[in-house]
Amino acid sequence: MRKSLLKDIVNTFISLPKGLWVTAKNWSFLRPSVTQLYPEEKPTLPERYRGMPTLPVDPQLGRTPCIACGACARMCPEHIITVVPEKGTDPKDRRPAEFTIDISRCMWCGLCMEVCPKKCLKPARTFELACYDRQGMIYRLEDLMRLGGTLEPEAEESESSGDE
Amino acid sequence: MQIDTQQITALAVEIVKILAAAVVILVFILLVVLYVVLKLRWVIARIQSRLGPNRTGPWGVLQTVADAIKLFQKEDIIPQGADRWLFTIAPAIVFIPAYVVYVVIPFGKGLTVRPLDVGVVYVTAISSISIIGIITAGWASNNKWSLLGAFRAASQLIAFEVPVILAMCIPVLLSGSLNLDVIVQKQTGGIANWNLFNAFPMCQVACLMLLVAGLAEANTTPFDLMEAESELVAGFNTEYSGMKFALFFLAEFAETFTLSALLVTLFLGGYNPPLHILGGQLTGYWYSLVSLVWFLFKCWLVVVFILWIRSTFPRVRIDQLMNLSWKALIPVGLANLLITGAYVGLWLAR
Repeated sequence: MRKSLLKDIVNTFISLPKGLWVTAKNWSFLRPSVTQLYPEEKPTLPERYRGMPTLPVDPQLGRTPCIACGACARMCPEHIITVVPEKGTDPKDRRPAEFTIDISRCMWCGLCMEVCPKKCLKPARTFELACYDRQGMIYRLEDLMRLGGTLEPEAEESESSGDE
Repeated sequence: MQIDTQQITALAVEIVKILAAAVVILVFILLVVLYVVLKLRWVIARIQSRLGPNRTGPWGVLQTVADAIKLFQKEDIIPQGADRWLFTIAPAIVFIPAYVVYVVIPFGKGLTVRPLDVGVVYVTAISSISIIGIITAGWASNNKWSLLGAFRAASQLIAFEVPVILAMCIPVLLSGSLNLDVIVQKQTGGIANWNLFNAFPMCQVACLMLLVAGLAEANTTPFDLMEAESELVAGFNTEYSGMKFALFFLAEFAETFTLSALLVTLFLGGYNPPLHILGGQLTGYWYSLVSLVWFLFKCWLVVVFILWIRSTFPRVRIDQLMNLSWKALIPVGLANLLITGAYVGLWLAR
């Protein structure tokens, strides 16, 4: 009984400073804060970040290589993609006249990007899609090309070779 | 009977002085509480690897001001079945003692509002009144959580009032005075004369006791059983909102500062600079200013230490709390008092 009491007293004077030391280590420069100051400091997105579907611009064509086949529109479980094709003089030359995605109903399943035969529907590396009305959620062809940036041929090759 | 104009002018001057002191202390308390709450949030944030408030104003310094404005805008709710009168005056009963205690604290050389000869007794007596306010609040709320919190507050504050007084007796015995100003003046002349570094081990034990028991009195986290939010919603102030809640909040943090001011005054040399070169050679108003700065600096250190404790230790259980007071602090405090008495009476008197 007496021994355990003494032990308790000694333990008190050892363990309390120990606890203070643990928090002091956090408090000092040893452990900087992990908070991200969001609007000023953007998070680094993972390499395979899967954002909303967009149409990146092929630098050789100067537009998206999309052939307006409509596979994405048919695949989409929410039916939010509308594609209107436009035919050029060459029968092989097909391009989208309109390409609209109503992102407000998109559930980020990524089926449209998977099914795309030209691999031109790519996830955007952006997540700041907030807007003030629902009209802002409807993305047209030029918005999708602007958001998509440029198509990286390297990534396309590696992906197509993986499929074969 | 002739009216003595001189007496009346003297009385008027006195009243104006008292009012001015009251306003100055109130503003001081508000500023201190604003700062301590902000510092608390910063310290806890840093310890938890966060940044804390940094958006409101430069470095987030206006965060507590924003909080206060938010509190003042809130609806002032008095619950049904509550005792309206008691419910309304309870925050005042809690806040006024925390406010009035500042009268005797020596902020600097000649900067005590009233250097009472019974300063230490005054502090302990006045700060005990706040218990009545807490019980009133708990009772008047007509809420079981509030009442349970108030019960806990009563048992805790009664248990820890005794060790606080026992610890405060040690510097009183060594200085031979209950006047806080005199206790500070006895510690002049550098860090070696501070009570903390004298009379080993009585003063060190007393300092630790005052810190621990004072934390329980000031209701800070390792001992904040009366508002243990995981058990009692918010304790005695569950039903309070708006201005009334702000008063409880203000009183709590004002008490934290009072505790650090008492620790500084009784054990850390009060407003005396730690070395004579650091302001000891000054005289008059300049010395008052420098000593005020030293006092506030020491208080800042103690407050930061208290916040460090607050953000480190988990809350104790009620039986552990009671055991700490009745089984550890009070016996040790009594023995300490006896030994110090013998030391002062037999050794120092020779």
